[in-house]
Amino acid sequence: MTTIAAEHQHPVHQGLPPPPRGWRRLLYPGFLRAAWMTPLFFGIGCGIVVLCRWWGGWHPIWFGEIIVLVAALVSAPIGFLAGIGAFDYWARYAVGAPTVPEDHSGHGAYSWRDYFRVNTDHKVIGMQYLVTTIIFFLIGGLLAMLVRAELAKPGMQFFDNQTYNGLFSVHASLMIFLFVIPAFAGLANFVVPLMLGAPDMAFPRLNALSYWLLPIAGIMMVSSFLVPGGAFASGWTGYAPLSVHQPMGTIFFNMGVQWAGASSIMTALNFLVTIITMRAPGMTFWRMPLLVWANFTTSLLVVIATPFIAGSQFFVMFDRVMHTSFFETGGGGYPLGYQHIFWFYSHPAVYIMMLPGFGIASEVISTMSRKPIFGYRLMALSLMAILVLGFSVWAHHMFVSGMAPWLRVPMMITTLLIAVPTGIKVFSWLATMWEGKIHFVTPMLWAAGFVSMFVIGGLSGIYLGAVPIDIHVSDTYFVVAHIHYVLFGGSLFTIFAGIYYWFPKMTGRMYNETLGKLHFWLTFIGFNATFFPMHLIGTEGMPRRVSDYAPQFAHWNMFISVASFFLGASTLVFLYNMIISMRRGAPAPGNPWRALTLEWQVTSPPPIFNFDEIPQVVGNPYEYGVPGARHAVLNGDRAAEEVKVH
Amino acid sequence: MRRGSIVQLIVIGVLAGAIASAFALIPGWLPEPASREAGRIDFVFWFVTGICIFVFSIVAAVTVFAIWKFRVKPDDDSDGPPIHGHTGLEIVWTAVPTLLVTAIAIVSAIVLAKDDAQGADPLRVDVTAQQFFWSYRYPEFDNKESDVLRLPVDRSIVLHLTAKDVIHSFWVPEFRQKQDVVPGLNPTLHITPTKVGTYPVICTELCGLGHALMRSRVIVMKPGAFQQWATQKAGA
Repeated sequence: MTTIAAEHQHPVHQGLPPPPRGWRRLLYPGFLRAAWMTPLFFGIGCGIVVLCRWWGGWHPIWFGEIIVLVAALVSAPIGFLAGIGAFDYWARYAVGAPTVPEDHSGHGAYSWRDYFRVNTDHKVIGMQYLVTTIIFFLIGGLLAMLVRAELAKPGMQFFDNQTYNGLFSVHASLMIFLFVIPAFAGLANFVVPLMLGAPDMAFPRLNALSYWLLPIAGIMMVSSFLVPGGAFASGWTGYAPLSVHQPMGTIFFNMGVQWAGASSIMTALNFLVTIITMRAPGMTFWRMPLLVWANFTTSLLVVIATPFIAGSQFFVMFDRVMHTSFFETGGGGYPLGYQHIFWFYSHPAVYIMMLPGFGIASEVISTMSRKPIFGYRLMALSLMAILVLGFSVWAHHMFVSGMAPWLRVPMMITTLLIAVPTGIKVFSWLATMWEGKIHFVTPMLWAAGFVSMFVIGGLSGIYLGAVPIDIHVSDTYFVVAHIHYVLFGGSLFTIFAGIYYWFPKMTGRMYNETLGKLHFWLTFIGFNATFFPMHLIGTEGMPRRVSDYAPQFAHWNMFISVASFFLGASTLVFLYNMIISMRRGAPAPGNPWRALTLEWQVTSPPPIFNFDEIPQVVGNPYEYGVPGARHAVLNGDRAAEEVKVH
Repeated sequence: MRRGSIVQLIVIGVLAGAIASAFALIPGWLPEPASREAGRIDFVFWFVTGICIFVFSIVAAVTVFAIWKFRVKPDDDSDGPPIHGHTGLEIVWTAVPTLLVTAIAIVSAIVLAKDDAQGADPLRVDVTAQQFFWSYRYPEFDNKESDVLRLPVDRSIVLHLTAKDVIHSFWVPEFRQKQDVVPGLNPTLHITPTKVGTYPVICTELCGLGHALMRSRVIVMKPGAFQQWATQKAGA
């Protein structure tokens, strides 16, 4: 064993060498270089536009919207990425310049500064993802508070209609593209290589690039509030032809989705290659933890589906700036085509936002119940079933859209059938808890809360799947209630479960248990008080996406708004807990939950290359209660001894 | 499992079912139905609600029981029994939901077919949606125009919907029927009003600035009164 450890010993490195002094510092990758390269590329973008328009004889030569599109939304971000150094290695390699010898100097974090540069360590990238996504989660949450403030009373209080439409559109886009999807990617980034027994992701530089695309997408979406005409205001669904004719903010959404989508596709490819090729010896597919299975299926969904939303947003943008008439009836376009393409991504996206959560729930519930996961293989297969069925249900978002009527019944059948694999998962989690020794620590509270809330979200999904009921409740608050039960009660609850569960591993410190529980209960109560009544006002006749409504809904809306402020305030407990625990929490042992999966068999936080020796996987990951069972052998038998001592 | 536990489990299940039923029955979930289609759609709604209460009660019973009984004792570091699965149970919870959703699919498909079917001697009304108002025209009555939808009770109505600019959606909660109006497509919608009264027409597809205010009314009248209104000269 010692020989393997010796072979894998790396030279002592302390991060990047100090930046050069004087003017050379301007050439050194980082924010300083980005500070001049971003405007430079902006200028190049402007130049290209002006030159082309001058050459083509188009007037006006200086045309604001195209300048914004090309220079601010395409070329300046590329300049930023080049400035911080996301392309340095590839650029040197491409031009034949000597590449910096691979000394792992861009790897790992030695001070807080290392989190603010292009870093190739999957653990650093995971943290970058999580902190960034939580910032956008807070912004998205504040937008929701503004929406609820306006809706507290009928009539117009604080905003005009266009601003209001912008508020809920940006809220949804941030929560979906900048929070739920990348937050799961961030958690998986940290955890999946560790669970596989791998030193890092398969493509660390691609991994770094896919993180740095995210803040670009987020800033783009938020900054659309600042442009003339306000933020994009046709909902996160951006249905054409309305979105084609909106003020300029729309192109910020069109392009923001491209940057966020590119980020997700790159990460997904990275996960697929990592999971397929970098499993530790002995880690067969049927020995992978369910979180890895979940990210494997999610990555397949992302890779297959995301190009469709990219296409749909490009088409809308082309209709707008190039007059292509993809969706304009006047030019022979087909407006429903938008919805088909959009939902062919955006329905699978629902599973992209849920399957990783299923994985987290499986890890937490099995560990905290001290029992093997019930029906492991069926759990993995049901993920695959959801993946396949997930591509055959998109038109259930379009039951009242006027699409070919015959499509409705087949799509209803596939939609309702998805309840079966989803049901299998819920029942298996309950069976895992059954007769267990359940430790109700914070991650387990979130996981159990997720299961119960997801059941309600699943059942309201049955209503929406049945075409006749959907005809009545489509585009009402019932839909708003349903998506928040699945995306808040489902995705967000599991993200919280994951953050609390792996917090000790990520930071090396324990979070505050009392505050964690307080956070859960405040959120749980606030969440139900906010979203459950929305079912009722929806079936009673309140449409969604309205700034004003009939007086009969005034009482419930006031109640919902008050509850939502309570819900919003509960997030402060979470933030406070994270900040104080990160600074002053009790030091965390390597394996505080006595879990069997590989990430817990190393120190907290893990060593820079995760494992000092390659672990040997010898069994299944959830063999709690099986005498002598072992998932992996590390460092001789050190892992086993630790369990005994504990 | 001891007999006492089974009794406790059933009691919790019944309690959960009772609470869920109270939630289902006490608030007025659906507006007073005012069309033949509404009656059928409501039937599907309550059919699904029944199944959902059944599923919810089972899940809630198991969850509450597990949280209550299997909570670990302080300082108990032991593991639970290593149960890896149970093929019979897994077959049951695959098969039963499959049957339930199949039943829902069949009921829904039948209701959908009935609601789509054209009644005898339908009255045609042309509905035009544009930012941000509705207008109605009656080809049978000399293309009479109106900004309020007036319909005779108990007669099959077929709405021919047209959008002038972007996508809108025609919805009358009391009729339960809804149809998006997509530019270039001219969908139809079948309604048979069964109750005299005034109901809101609501646009339910985000159509821009004035979306929230894109409202109109439908007035269902006795056939005689409708005939009288429809044959009046324009402007009256």
